[in-house]
Amino acid sequence: MAMQSLTKTFTAGLWDSNPVLRLLLGMCPTLAVTAAMKPALTMGLSVVFVLICSNIVVSLMRNLLKPHLRILMFTLTIATFVTIADLYLKAFMPDMSAALGPYIPLIIVNCIIIGRAEACASKSGLLVSIIDAVGMGIGFTLALCLLAAIRELLATGKLFEMPIMPSWFTPWAAMGMPVGAFVTLGLILAGVNVVTKKT
Amino acid sequence: MSTKIKYFFEQSWLLMVSSVVFGLLLAVTDAAWKPRIEQNVVNRFTSLAGGLLTEAERFEPIAQTISIDIKGKAVPVEVKRGLNAAGQTVGWAFVCEGSGFADKIRLVVATDAAFTKMAGFGVLFSNETPGFGDKINITPANGGFYQPQFIGAPVGTLTLTKTGDPAVIDDHIVAISGATVTSQAVVDTLNAWLVPIREKMAAEGLLK
Repeated sequence: MAMQSLTKTFTAGLWDSNPVLRLLLGMCPTLAVTAAMKPALTMGLSVVFVLICSNIVVSLMRNLLKPHLRILMFTLTIATFVTIADLYLKAFMPDMSAALGPYIPLIIVNCIIIGRAEACASKSGLLVSIIDAVGMGIGFTLALCLLAAIRELLATGKLFEMPIMPSWFTPWAAMGMPVGAFVTLGLILAGVNVVTKKT
Repeated sequence: MSTKIKYFFEQSWLLMVSSVVFGLLLAVTDAAWKPRIEQNVVNRFTSLAGGLLTEAERFEPIAQTISIDIKGKAVPVEVKRGLNAAGQTVGWAFVCEGSGFADKIRLVVATDAAFTKMAGFGVLFSNETPGFGDKINITPANGGFYQPQFIGAPVGTLTLTKTGDPAVIDDHIVAISGATVTSQAVVDTLNAWLVPIREKMAAEGLLK
């Protein structure tokens, strides 16, 4: 039963409560960094790291939190781990850090992270909080990668900067621009709605 | 009063303790990774400048402090001397910055030893429109159209044109089609920085 509950918590973030496709959270990085696969994957993994760390800390101090100060505590915790992630990228992946620019520090105000701290970590034990963070983080990463794969393929004919499309393919420059992000995300969400209604 | 102070600490002790702990964590992380981050910045500059001044084996900052006036503000410029294996100056490299279409544009610019001709530029940072303005990033080796026009261009006032032969190296720069603003931004940045830097360096006796 406990295993089933943990499995359900994990899989909720992948589909039923996918933060991008079902909850429509984290739209800013979703639209901004999905012009190519590499930045999308880097952003997704950064969010996974911050989610796991912040959920662990919030879960450990959940019994000590004062209700009127909890948001402040959440923000302090999240900001710390986002700063660590930002420093890590600057130190070990400087090209990706430059490509992502201000969107890594903006993870601090990503609603997914503070939302999971409030909805799960502040009310659950350590294991459940970690599983929830992993599920939500992977769900977010998969959604970003799906969007990035479509956009990069159509905008450049490449995936992970490796040529995929045949030589006769004419790249759609618009897919690399904001309009391409909005249209692609809209179509993906429409598809998700269709699939959800049918099931 | 003591009741109020006691209440204050009862309510906020976790916040204060967390602030100290997280602050220490960030300080340790920063101390551990700061040298690497700074080295990355130097490496990026050296990589771009080395690609422009191919004879240079190393780059050394000059001893003098160069400061130029950009839009009424005194802006320090760290000029680096490109030295070949024999220790001779083969050129100069520095970072300059201007406003692009979407965001600021930061360039590594190199000139010859006499500071009369450009050796070209590399893009340290830009956030221009993909497929249009970001073409300023495409290097000559990758079939770039815009960057090669600056290799050998005179240090002076450059003029952006919409038509012309980009293969002709002079003070006329042909704009990227569909990215006139970005193209103009690069030209304006170079016009604002190069001549003042040359004047200051000449005044310091650095130019022969």
